[in-house]
Amino acid sequence: MSEAVVKITIDGRPVTARPGQTVMQAAAAIGINIPGLCNHPHLKPEGACRLCLVEIEKQRNLQPACTFPVAEGLVVRTETPRIVESRRFALQMLFSERSHYCMVCPVSGDSQSSDCELQRLAYRYGLTHWPYAPDYEKAWEIDASRKYFVMHHSRCILCRRCVRACNQIAANHTLGVKQRGARTMICADDDVPFGQSTCISCGTCLQVCPTGALVDRRSAFLGHERDFTRTRAVCMGCAVGCGIQAFTRDNQLVRVEGDWASANEGLLCAAGRFEVVEPRPPRILKPLVRQDWRLVETSWDKALSHIAARFRGAQAVAGLATPRLVTESLAALACFFEEALTSHEVALLYGDAPPSELGRPAALADLRAADCIAVIGGDPLKDQKVVGYLVRRARDAGAKVIVVDDAETGLDKCADVHLELEDISYPSESPFERLRHTYHLRAGGLATLKSALTAAQHPVVLYGSGLSTTVCASLRAMPPKVRFMPLVVGTNTLGARRLGLQTRPVMGDAVYVLMGDDLPNGTPPPHRQFTVIQAAYRSSWTESADVVLPAQTWAERRGHILNVEGRSVAVTPLLEAPPGVPADWETLLQLSMRMGYELSMDAISGMSQVV
Amino acid sequence: MAKKVTIASDWLAGCAGCHMSLLDMDERLVELLGAVSLHATPITDLKHPPPEGVDVGIIEGAVANSATERVVRQMRQRCRVLVAMGDCAVFGGVPTMRNAGGCQAALRRAYIESESTVGGRIPDDPELAAMAQVRPIDAVVDVDVYLPGCPPPADAIYYVLKELVEGRTPQLAGKLLDWH
Repeated sequence: MSEAVVKITIDGRPVTARPGQTVMQAAAAIGINIPGLCNHPHLKPEGACRLCLVEIEKQRNLQPACTFPVAEGLVVRTETPRIVESRRFALQMLFSERSHYCMVCPVSGDSQSSDCELQRLAYRYGLTHWPYAPDYEKAWEIDASRKYFVMHHSRCILCRRCVRACNQIAANHTLGVKQRGARTMICADDDVPFGQSTCISCGTCLQVCPTGALVDRRSAFLGHERDFTRTRAVCMGCAVGCGIQAFTRDNQLVRVEGDWASANEGLLCAAGRFEVVEPRPPRILKPLVRQDWRLVETSWDKALSHIAARFRGAQAVAGLATPRLVTESLAALACFFEEALTSHEVALLYGDAPPSELGRPAALADLRAADCIAVIGGDPLKDQKVVGYLVRRARDAGAKVIVVDDAETGLDKCADVHLELEDISYPSESPFERLRHTYHLRAGGLATLKSALTAAQHPVVLYGSGLSTTVCASLRAMPPKVRFMPLVVGTNTLGARRLGLQTRPVMGDAVYVLMGDDLPNGTPPPHRQFTVIQAAYRSSWTESADVVLPAQTWAERRGHILNVEGRSVAVTPLLEAPPGVPADWETLLQLSMRMGYELSMDAISGMSQVV
Repeated sequence: MAKKVTIASDWLAGCAGCHMSLLDMDERLVELLGAVSLHATPITDLKHPPPEGVDVGIIEGAVANSATERVVRQMRQRCRVLVAMGDCAVFGGVPTMRNAGGCQAALRRAYIESESTVGGRIPDDPELAAMAQVRPIDAVVDVDVYLPGCPPPADAIYYVLKELVEGRTPQLAGKLLDWH
């Protein structure tokens, strides 16, 4: 099939464009940089800033390149004296609107370092001053009511990138504009402070803001983007495994942005973008052993020998691991327990993975293309936030949303159809019973679900765990066009399940807890007569342990996770681990040697490959 | 010997950082002094531009009260080419932050509320200059050359002076154009 093409000329160069492209896109394809402040490659064009005006033959006036569609024979000029004059004028008008005092703005820099698109254009077009004076008395509001980032209205140029990001990318519909003309202001909901609005702090608006109007609190004034190392990495916050761009400086994580080229297309949640750079408790850098009621720093050799001696004397050793680990670490733990300790008492601290073989797996891209999405027994807006945002985006694009649950979920408001899930588990006092809840959807509901999914062209089913046998069987019997995404709770719970690790009670008078960089967040420690905790940070758990071993954090590990798409995602380190803090598998290897058993690397990597 | 270009400079509401940046030209100052004669500056003995005038007048800082306004008006009368040096002179700069809260709030903060002050009093001598809204100097007088930067790089100051000495109009671009 040959694709239709449109032949146009830009700056004297012949260009082959696709119908539907804009002049801006066609120019970018051959490396001609037409400036634009409201234009953003991942947002629908707005045509608000007038910086991209170009000359098009047979058009009376200059035309905005970001909204002008290509047409056969178009002759475009992008940088004539007339255009330059108009751009200088547009910039002068922008600077006259509000108080753009660059010297107090964190994104300001010189022509090499500036992170401000407005300032860079001012340099490009040689603005040495502001011929149209701004109002020197007017005080523009600063909205600092949100935890992670601040809005300085003084630096806002009303390009509406944030508004479009909120509506088109995050599908949260919080941001809009109020008033008109010179009084136009960006506002949230019914004009309430951002902190009191429906804003979910996903930070997409912050990522697309061309000026310093939206400023990240943590990384402001820590340097320009060119001072940071930018690493493409994977967020370890939940099982979605979003692609991130990590900004690091001097081996410190400074800022996180969504990776446009990954499946999440720049979108992240507050946890992935902001919480990961929040301060953490003190790092554990040396092994600690309890002596006379106090934890005392000791050498790796002594600590491991001590653990080995106690484990040999124990009746049974239990193992617990956070699912926030790469498969390689989990495999090493499982191997250590089964080979060195000949114990199967090893499980996850938390996490929940529904059965993953109900049908063809759905990728994040399938959610965007879906015309019918059923969410059964899970709340993606709580546990897999980016998936939830993508569901709302599909709803905005016209997809039918069916929510099937026994409780309220975040997606209720955007559901077209509600079906009631019934909890048919036997009531019990045991805390572990919580893990064995069974949810059932009656025949009438199943029929409604089936007819909706069958009628759709690209149906997707998102499902949580604990669904009844009948529901699972009915889902398996859906037409093959239906794609399935398990709503996995816990980053690598799916990878852990492939290894045979799941959340369950474990028995033993000694316990080895691999908690990595997780924090207990109020959960009581899994105490036994002898407790070893391998953790990155000090917490209530490490304070009450018998031995504490240092662990690497998510940002220091290399390996793989299995995400909600059922895809093995490679995790690469973006920071160097502190000296003396080895990888999890290395610690377990050393420990198993002291237990008199040599754990083989082949066994660990063989197990990881199964996943 | 060709007649030297005469220069006078002064500072208004600012931090003197632009003059520090001027001194940052290092040995190029010596080279410039071969073609330039400095008449009055805040860092030399003579403080006011001579009544017979100079070729180039350089102003750092923003107009913030009646005294600074008088200084910039006098400089405009006594120079042929007026250079606005630094972000305060060009845009208003950091002193404009006072506009948002107002003069009285700024005075209260400085003389009464500051942490080290006990029993402070806002100066009210009638001879003191009357405070006004902070503005860039082109809100008061015509400016011929804008040299932005906080402070402008020494290279940019050298370039502007060199161009003026050689009778050209400076066109700041590239690395020399830096508002930062």
